Parts: sequence; C-alpha cells; structure tokens
Amino acid sequence: MSFDNLTANWSKLRVKRPQPDMYKDAPYKWAMVIDLDACTGCNACTTACYAENNLPVVGKDRFLAGQAMHWLRIERYWGEGTEHTQEFPEQGAQFLPMMCQQCEAAPCEIVCPVGATHHTPDGLNSQVYNRCIGSRYCSANCPYKVRYFNWYNYPETAWASPLEQQLNPDVTVRSKGVMEKCTFCVQRLTEAKNKARTEGRTVRDGEVVTACAQACPTSAIHFGNLADPTSTVARMWMAQQVELAAHPQSKDEQREKEGPLDENAETLRGYRILEELRTFPSVVYLERIRSSEA
Amino acid sequence: MKKKSYILALFADFDVAAHSIAALRNSSIKGFKMKDVTLKSPIDHPECAAELGDRPVYIQLFSAMGAILGASLGFLAISSAQANFLRQPRGGFPLIPIPPNMVITYELFILTSVFFTIIACYVVFAIHRVKSTLYSAEISVDKIGILVKADPEAIPGIKQIFSTHHALEIKESQ
Amino acid sequence: MSNPHDETEIAAEPRFVPKPKDIDSDIAWAEINGDVLRSLERPRPLFWVIFFGSLGLFLWGVYCEIYQYNTGLGVADLENPHVWGLYIATFIFWIGMSHSGTLLSAILHLMHADWRKPIYRFAEAMTTFSLMTAGLFVLVHLGRVWQFYYVVAYPSERWTWPNFSSPLVWDATAIGSYLTTSVIFLYFGMIPDLAICRDKATGIRRLFYRAMSVGWMGTDRQWANFRITYLTIACLLIPLAVSVHSIVATDFAVSQQPGWHTTSFPPYFVAGALYSGCAAIITLFIILRYTFRFEQYMTIPILEKLCKLTFAISMVWTYLNLIEYASVWYGTDSFAKQALIYRATGTYAGWWWAMNILGSIVPFTLTFKAMRTNIPAMMIVSLLLNLGMWIERFMIISPTFAHGYYPWTWIDGWWPNWVQVGIILGSFGWFTMLFMLFCKIFPSVSMYEVKEMVYHRRAPKKHRAAHAQPVGQAQPDPS
Repeated sequence: MSFDNLTANWSKLRVKRPQPDMYKDAPYKWAMVIDLDACTGCNACTTACYAENNLPVVGKDRFLAGQAMHWLRIERYWGEGTEHTQEFPEQGAQFLPMMCQQCEAAPCEIVCPVGATHHTPDGLNSQVYNRCIGSRYCSANCPYKVRYFNWYNYPETAWASPLEQQLNPDVTVRSKGVMEKCTFCVQRLTEAKNKARTEGRTVRDGEVVTACAQACPTSAIHFGNLADPTSTVARMWMAQQVELAAHPQSKDEQREKEGPLDENAETLRGYRILEELRTFPSVVYLERIRSSEA
Repeated sequence: MKKKSYILALFADFDVAAHSIAALRNSSIKGFKMKDVTLKSPIDHPECAAELGDRPVYIQLFSAMGAILGASLGFLAISSAQANFLRQPRGGFPLIPIPPNMVITYELFILTSVFFTIIACYVVFAIHRVKSTLYSAEISVDKIGILVKADPEAIPGIKQIFSTHHALEIKESQ
Repeated sequence: MSNPHDETEIAAEPRFVPKPKDIDSDIAWAEINGDVLRSLERPRPLFWVIFFGSLGLFLWGVYCEIYQYNTGLGVADLENPHVWGLYIATFIFWIGMSHSGTLLSAILHLMHADWRKPIYRFAEAMTTFSLMTAGLFVLVHLGRVWQFYYVVAYPSERWTWPNFSSPLVWDATAIGSYLTTSVIFLYFGMIPDLAICRDKATGIRRLFYRAMSVGWMGTDRQWANFRITYLTIACLLIPLAVSVHSIVATDFAVSQQPGWHTTSFPPYFVAGALYSGCAAIITLFIILRYTFRFEQYMTIPILEKLCKLTFAISMVWTYLNLIEYASVWYGTDSFAKQALIYRATGTYAGWWWAMNILGSIVPFTLTFKAMRTNIPAMMIVSLLLNLGMWIERFMIISPTFAHGYYPWTWIDGWWPNWVQVGIILGSFGWFTMLFMLFCKIFPSVSMYEVKEMVYHRRAPKKHRAAHAQPVGQAQPDPS
C-alpha cells in the first residue's frame, strides 16, 4: 500500500514550502501582528498564556538558572540613544513580545529525529508531546530560541493542592523530558473550528483569539486568519506589504523616503524578525514609532 | 561410494610443500583427485596454493549483490515511509527529500554488502569443510600440512611421495 | 637437508638487513605464538586494581545517570538556550576515537603498510568499544530515555516512522552500521588467531575458542576466501567510516546556527577523528607494550611511524581549522564572524586558545626524533593531544549556544556540573573495563599477521621461489 501511495502522489511529495499563494484556497492560515508601539511591557499576555496553557511557574532559582517555561516572553531592549545615567536606569526600554513564530519553513521541524513537530494544514507548527523523546535538536536549531524544554517533572511540584483545580482541562500537562512552545492556543482554535463546522461555515474574524491577544490591554496583539482577505490581520499584512512566502519583500520606496518622524499612519513599519534566515515566520511586528531622540 | 581414507603430512616450509604437491600432481597414482588435496598453513601463501590448481573465489559477487539490494530496497523503504506523511510536512522541505535519502541509502548499501560478504564466506567455509579429524596443532604454530583424501589403495603411494619430500610427520586415518 | 639457505641468507642479507630495534626477522613463529598467548594468562594483581577502579568509575556514572533519569535533565544544569551540554561533546569525542582502528586496519591494509600488523588488533578493539561508549551518550542525553526506540524505523500500528530528514536519524543509521561492521571486521580478522588459541587452550576456554574459531583449519580455500572477504570488508569499511563522522558533523553543519553552518565541517570532523584516534593508539600502544612486554613486536620504529602519521593528520586538522576561521573572517556573514570573535575573546577564550595550542602547536613536538622515541614523553603528548581534541568538541557546541542569532538569549557562559562530569568519567570507566577484558580474552596482537610480516622480511618474494628458506625457525632445520 505504501508503494502505491508513493507512485500516485510523487509530485505532491516533492513540493517545497512555502509556495506563493499556497493558502489562497485554504480555509485557515493563522497569523499575528504585534504592534510594538502599543506594547507597554505589562506582561498581561505572558500571564494569560501561563493560565491558558498550564505553564508551570518554576520559581526564582530555576528562572535565574535559565530554566523558565514562559512560552511568550517580553524582551526589553535599551539603546538607540537611551541614556543610562537617568535616575531610573530601566526607563526607556522597548518591549518585544516573542513567542513561536510558527515559521512556514521552520528549522525546528526538519531536525526532530522522531518527527514530533510538523506543519499543520492550518499553517501552525505543531508539537506532539507524546512523540517527543527530548533530543532538543529543535531548540538547538531555532534561531529565536522560543522552544522550552521540561527540565523537571513539573506536574509533581508546580501546582500544590488546590492549585491544580485551575488548570485548563483542554490542554495537556507535560511531563519531564518533552519540548513545548507557543501553539497559538490551538485548543481554542480547534474548538472554534469545530463549532463553525457544525454550523456549516468557517470561523469568522474575531471569533477566536489567543489568550495573549485577549488579555492585552492596549490591543497590541492582533490574531486572525491570513487566508481570509477581509480579516484584520490579513489587511494589516497587506497594508505593510509583507507577503508570507516571499523573501526579500518587495516594498515600495515609501519607507526609504520617510524618516523616523512620521505622522502618516500607513508608514511601512511591519517586518518579520530574522527574516534573512528565510524561516518565513507568521508573525509581523510593527516597528515602534520613535519620538525624537528616544 | 568407496570409503575414503585421509593422510596428513607436515612440512617445515612452503617450498618443500610446493614440491610435494607438484609431485603428487605429476604422479600416476590413481585413487585421488587434485581437488581433494588441501594445504593447511599458519599464514596465507598464494603461490604455494596455486600449485593445487585453480580454485576461484566468488565472494565478491555476493558483495555486489548485497550492495545493489541494499541500495534499492533501502531507498524504496525510506521513501515509502516518508510518503505516509502527506498531511505533516516538515520545515519547508519536500516530503521525500533526495539528500537525506541518499545518506541513509548509502549507509544501508554498505551494511547490506558487508552482511552478504560475511554470510557468503561462512557458507563457503561450511561447504568446503573437510570431514576429517586429522589435524595437528603444529599447523597453527609453524608447520605446513598437506591433507589428501584418497582411496585406501592409493595411500601407500602418496605416503612414499611425502617421505621422499622431507615430510616431518605423516598421519593416517581410516 | 644440508644448509642451502646459508648461501641464500648471505645473498639476501645486503638487501634485507633489518633496521636496528625494528621487528626482528629472526623471531621464530613459535615464539610469536608463545609471547602473545602469554598475555592471555591469569592477570597480575595490578590488573584487578585498575579493573575495579574503572568499574567504580562506571558505577559512579550510573548513579549520576539514575539521578538524572529520575529527576529530569535540569540537574545537569542545562538551560534555554544552552540545551546541549557535554554529553554531545563527549559523544562526538568517542565516535572520533573510533576512527583510528579503521584507519590502521583498513586503510593501511590497502596501502600494504606492514608496520600496522602488530598494532591494528587493539586499535580495532578500541574502535568497537569507543562506538559502544558513544552509544551510551545518545541515550543519556535524551529527555525521555525510555522511548529512545522511536528513532528506530520499526513498523508500528500507528504508521509513525522516524524523521529521515533529521541528521540524528542519519547518525543512528550510520553509527549502527559502523558498529556492526566493526564488530564483524574485528571478529572475522581474529578467526585464525582464535584457532591458535583453541589449539593451545585447555578446559572450558578450549570450548569457547573452538566455538569462536568456526572450524578454522588454515586450509588454502579458507585462506583464499578469508583474504578476499577481509579485503572486501576493508574496502567497504573505509567509506563507511568516513561517512560516519561526516554525518555526525552534519548534525551541526545542516543547522543554520552561527558557528555551525560551515560546509567544511564534515572533513574537519573526520580529520579531528583520525587525529584523536591516532593519539589514543599511541597511548594504548605504550600501555600494552609495557604491560605485556611486547617490546619485540610493538617496536620503537613502529611508534615513530605512528607519531609521524599523527603529525601528518594534525597538520590536516590544523589546515581545516584555520580555513574555517579564514573563510568566516573574510566572508560576509556577520553572524558567523560574530560567533568566531566570541569564541576567541569571550567567556570561552581560554579554552578556545588552549584547543588551538594543544591541537596545532603541541604536535610539532612529534617532529623531533628524540621526542618520538621517548616513551614517557609520547605518553604525555598523546594525552595532551586527546585533551585538545576533547576541548575542540566542547568549543564547537557551547559558544554557539551561548551566543546565537538572538541577542536577548545570549548568556555569559555555561559550565558543566558534577552530574555531567560524573557521567563522562563513567564512560571512561566503561571503555577501560571493556578494553581490559578484551586484552585478557582475545589476543591483542595479531599473531598470523606478525608471522607474515616476519616471513616477508626474511624472504623477499623473488628469492623465495628459487631458494628453500626456513619458514618458522630461526635456525636451519636440523632434520
């Protein structure tokens, strides 16, 4: 049976990804836009992610040892004219929420020895916990280092009774030795897709949001379906002239002409992180609009 | 089938043994064939063994067979396995990528070829096992032995040839 | 049998005077048997001291692994982003050590370098046991060790297969093939020697050797097939060995991480493997020569040749090392350049410079004959070279993790803790135990090959046909 499968589907088996317009006829391609200008670094998104996805709090010692489990992390950057002689040296930080970029050509997928990570038809990078044997090659190959390994057996210690009552029943609690990462709240997506399918339609824009997008007080995180051209996220991607399967992006001269100071709301400030590595991430960041000499 | 006898002679060096074999070959003694003459030695000596006649070695045919089988079956097996993952592509690469498949096919071809070679060698050893208990431990030290399987009538003649060629020791069995 | 060989010896002598202290062509074959079989006799007390010491080390490693297995890999002080530690570095080190046996037995066999004959047996044993030790690390470093078999392509009811595009699966295939083939090659090459052991053994050992020598009688057909089989497997083993360490190198080379994504990695790793393997052979050479009093067989000229070979390989390694730096330095990849500068000037700078000095400068001591023929000096030098090679593997892994693409993930440096060190020491204990057992059960010098070596040195081919030469005895045959 496998041999027939092989010969019948040969052309499909040899196609490279991503192809331009590959999601044109697909029902879903989940993507995000994160507005760095709106982000205040409040960490509500991180907390919501912890709550939604049963993330264990590892404690101060292990956090300092680098063994934290935050799927979504708020990074802080200083520089670009910041003076550190101020009374509050941490003032002037720029915040960047970083989570799994759900890359279309994910470097992590190709190196897992047992095939615990793949790309779904939805455009998500999936992590299969019960297949993972913990070789950590995926994390070694990730340029963003957004994959987190269960260094200890957290279910034993992280949620002392009665804290285990607040765990989300839709999400697995992971044992030691498996890799995990942001899934774009796949449990919410699956529930929404099932509900929509029962009603004979596709998921509407805004019907499902990730926990981080839901919790953000400044609406810095936008989540939606890139395959639906009327969705917020698709319109933002188009406005920023970022194409999913393209590198380098062909943008018009507007960006080069405009300087940092710009009142025009349509300034091209959308980019994908480490795009030159040709990972084709699904998250577009909108660059912070800088005030003078920030 | 007439019951055969065996005779084993020990010599000090290869040249004397080679002369004995030549004498056996040129002799007119009936009751044994050259293919029933075996040389036993502590080390390999192709020139002396050449006196016994042409005894071709077919091992490398099996190596080649193993190589071809390992390469083709290996590639097919891997590609068939990969073809099951149509709904689970990985990393932007095709589901049946050629470079990784080539790597694994290469390893499997070498492994299969080695297996076939070794098995062929053991089969040859088993086929040509001499059914005789005549053996001297001196052969594994420093003596050369010649074992002949012959009819009992031919044995005295053969023994005579060995004696004239400075055999150190002669053993017979029934 | 008057002495026709007197004339021939005189005639042969001007052309075939053995070099001083080289393998003496006057050694009788019976003496070769006796000397080597003596090494299989009851061991002295020192053997047991070292054996139980190694066992203790191995058990300490087992204890550390049990602790890690039960608690989780966090006890090894690994972190995000530094997710691989010394386990992978030492794994590559052990695979590297395994290449020397192949070099000596297969490559030098094809080149008809007969000086390899007394030493290739223990080198091949070293290959086999290094591979077994490396296999331990593959298991130790997994997060869920008990499900390691997912990497094997077995038919499961869920139709799940390993990911054949992953270099780790290539590793599994390559190392599995190499281990299998090495064991086959080692055992097969030993069959004539096992027959010698069978003929001289008594009691239960005789049964063991009889089973192992599969009815070897030294017949001409057996020899002819044996030779062809040995040659064929040697020819197949060489490309396999080269591919194994190249594939281990692709673990890093196919990843796009800065400092790893270099096409020169496969040959660089193979050169490093041959390098550390040759250094290890020198170490074991000195130990075995002293322990079993093999001075007649493992002679100083052979040691010299080994040292020259090690020097040549060290220069190849140095070249590939420097060419990697040069291509990064004069290239346009700013990430890779940043990674190189971090290695040379960052937290790991001391180790990195130590690696370069030990790997490229110390081998120049091998250019001096006084050093090459000085046994204690060579012991120290070979250990230093291997240390340099171990540091090299550490330097390939750690700086890239500590200083990758993403600045927010940079860490100051990562250092191993007692769990990692304990498991690594346990692996050395495991290897030593296996090697010591091998030396006491199987002949660590290939008797039949040394006999051939002695025979060919004494009797050049064109004289052999014309004159009767004594084969196994130093004196003319009295009978």
